[in-house]
Amino acid sequence: MAIIEINGLVKDFGKFRALDGVDLAVEQGEVHAFLGPNGAGKSTTIRCLLGILRCTEGSVSMFGKDAWAHAVELHKRVAFVPGDVNLWSNFTGGEVIDLFLSLNGGKANEEKRAKYLELFELDPSKKCRTYSKGNRQKVALVAAFASDAELFVLDEPTSGLDPLMEKVFQNSITEIMKEGKTVLLSSHILSEVEKLADSVSIIREGKIVESGSMADIAAKAHGRTLEEFFLAEYEGK
Amino acid sequence: MSNNFARLGTYLWFLCRRERIISPIWIACIAGLSALFAGLYPSIAANDAEIYQLALTMTTPSMVAMMGPVYGMEDLSHASLMAQECLVWFLVAAAIMNIFLVNRHTRVDEELGRLEMFRAMPVGRLTGSLATIKLAFGVNLLVAAITTLAFIVLDIGGTTAAGAFAYGFSIGAVGFLFAALTLLAAQIFSTSRAVSAFGFVLLGVFYIMRAMGDVAENALSYISPLGLGLKVEAFYSNDVMPLIVLLVEGVVFVAIALAIAAVRDHGSGVIPARAGKAHASRFLKSPLGLAWRLSKGTSLGWAAGLFLLGVSYGSVCAEVDSFVEGSEMMQQFIGASATQSLLDGYVAVIFMIMSMLVSVPIVMTVLRIHSEEKRGRLEQVLSKAVPRVRLYGAFIFIALIESVVLELMLALGLWVTAGGQLALDVVVCASLCYLPAIWAIAGIAAVLVGFLPRLTALVWAVFGYAFVAMYFSKMMELPDWMLKATLFGNIPQLPVEDFTLVPLVVLTLVAVAFFALGLARFRTRDILTN
Repeated sequence: MAIIEINGLVKDFGKFRALDGVDLAVEQGEVHAFLGPNGAGKSTTIRCLLGILRCTEGSVSMFGKDAWAHAVELHKRVAFVPGDVNLWSNFTGGEVIDLFLSLNGGKANEEKRAKYLELFELDPSKKCRTYSKGNRQKVALVAAFASDAELFVLDEPTSGLDPLMEKVFQNSITEIMKEGKTVLLSSHILSEVEKLADSVSIIREGKIVESGSMADIAAKAHGRTLEEFFLAEYEGK
Repeated sequence: MSNNFARLGTYLWFLCRRERIISPIWIACIAGLSALFAGLYPSIAANDAEIYQLALTMTTPSMVAMMGPVYGMEDLSHASLMAQECLVWFLVAAAIMNIFLVNRHTRVDEELGRLEMFRAMPVGRLTGSLATIKLAFGVNLLVAAITTLAFIVLDIGGTTAAGAFAYGFSIGAVGFLFAALTLLAAQIFSTSRAVSAFGFVLLGVFYIMRAMGDVAENALSYISPLGLGLKVEAFYSNDVMPLIVLLVEGVVFVAIALAIAAVRDHGSGVIPARAGKAHASRFLKSPLGLAWRLSKGTSLGWAAGLFLLGVSYGSVCAEVDSFVEGSEMMQQFIGASATQSLLDGYVAVIFMIMSMLVSVPIVMTVLRIHSEEKRGRLEQVLSKAVPRVRLYGAFIFIALIESVVLELMLALGLWVTAGGQLALDVVVCASLCYLPAIWAIAGIAAVLVGFLPRLTALVWAVFGYAFVAMYFSKMMELPDWMLKATLFGNIPQLPVEDFTLVPLVVLTLVAVAFFALGLARFRTRDILTN
């Protein structure tokens, strides 16, 4: 069953067409990489998926339900990590994690929360204003992994993380995959994509220009490395 | 050690560039308002007898506590009366200007990581601090000089060059002392919030010390810089000794601050930041808890401030008859006639103006929905299982509760000191009557949040119109509709007017309609993202 299904998604901001007919399908239990250059429409697509933005045309659904109309109900099953985590400077990291977990309606799993705090080496008693970029990112990651979500929507989740933490992130993804979760991963780190992804969609100028399983992509690359292939797609060659 | 100050000139020039808009506005406001008030005095008191009358009303303990000691009763003039009634407020304004000025170029920049970039260049360790205090010195000098000149040019009765100097430079000297104290605080505390909070607490403590010292005539007035600043006795003895003492104190604090800055680690303070809670409290874990947590600081601050304002207005009630009799302008303002009690008129005006003031934090609470959106945080909250209705409703609910509490605090404050003259139920009713008007203006803010999130500032234009129209309606005849259009003008002005239910019900319905309209749009529109 497709967990995410986007068909012909168009999004206009005034006269500017940010998305021009995006199609995307993410199957249950897969890590789907969502790639594309800056400004191509990755975050806009994700925001339409989350019901933050209302689509101009087309349909967006998760778990078979319309993503806008059923946003609240669907979000109980979704964990989201943005690429730029904005936090309240006078809250501690621990408070934000608890807030996020309880806003999702689930019961906070104390064991999981403690486990991921330790894995990501995050001090939850510090005020958010004292956190570096990487530490703010960890707050959102811990809140996501400690939840009972079935779908993880991750928009450049590891920006600002050090290589050790990048590894912790990859291990965490591998772990939740064993539990049968689904992941939509937007990322610029191609090694991360190569290691984790089962399938890929590439977006450029608001349109999906390439889509398929990693095996399909390898076949299309005609002997080039994945990096070379992706760069060529980014440039539109 | 001279390396500690490398590139001082360049850095100071850079600071001046950054200040080219904000500081001139502050200078113009402080010097300009001084001149404006001074220019009004000849019309407030026409002759020596009236001046004496007004000065007499200031000799009561509560007035001394508010404005400072009265001096030179045998040699009064427009200028000396103005200085006695107004100088303390300008000292407070100068202090506030300096707290912001110094904080934004020291701890704020350090917190944001801007200073770090400079420290990586061949810029001295103390260059930033010294350049900031030099800048502050210059700004205060300008405030002092322009104020002095303005007095000399205006030349109201009793103006002397020495008096103008004493008045102007008292503001400058107190301002500089606060700049020095803020510089010191910026070394001690590791967050910019703590620095400005410390500055304002200190200002409050100094004000209370001065009030106590002035009433009891003891040394507290000399310890408090605000009290010391008033000791120049502008346009009477024109003593410059307090100015010298303030300046020396300032230089000492600057020296201590620089000594600390020379040895402390960049980014740290003498007092380390406290560890916070590792867990959220039970209450925080909901949209309502979040809305309250985000509004808490300002709400409690306003509650305390309005209570104190109520107290200070209440403390004048005992003398209101003589206070109003002495001033034709006040009589006109209150619209006093022989048939109604002056006190009632005074109370009615106070609640009208103060209720407008109350609407400021209420509107801010509603607009917080948008400020959270602007900062990209709403996106994260709404990506959880949070209905937009609940989020929007949470902020509106907090705003409504806040409005009731603030109006009550105002009424209670007034009653505490004026309890002898006024019954509690009268004061509370007069105050709570304004709630529907406050809700209506909050409703306008809510509509803007829904429909025109980028133009939410428009609500301040509505507020500004209400304030100006109400103010002028007291001075001159304005068409009735202009008053009604202010929202506040529809409220029965208790205890002077009779209570009427209809306008209150209508305004409440209007507010409810506005909230619903804003919500309807907020539910279906795009959330603004970067």
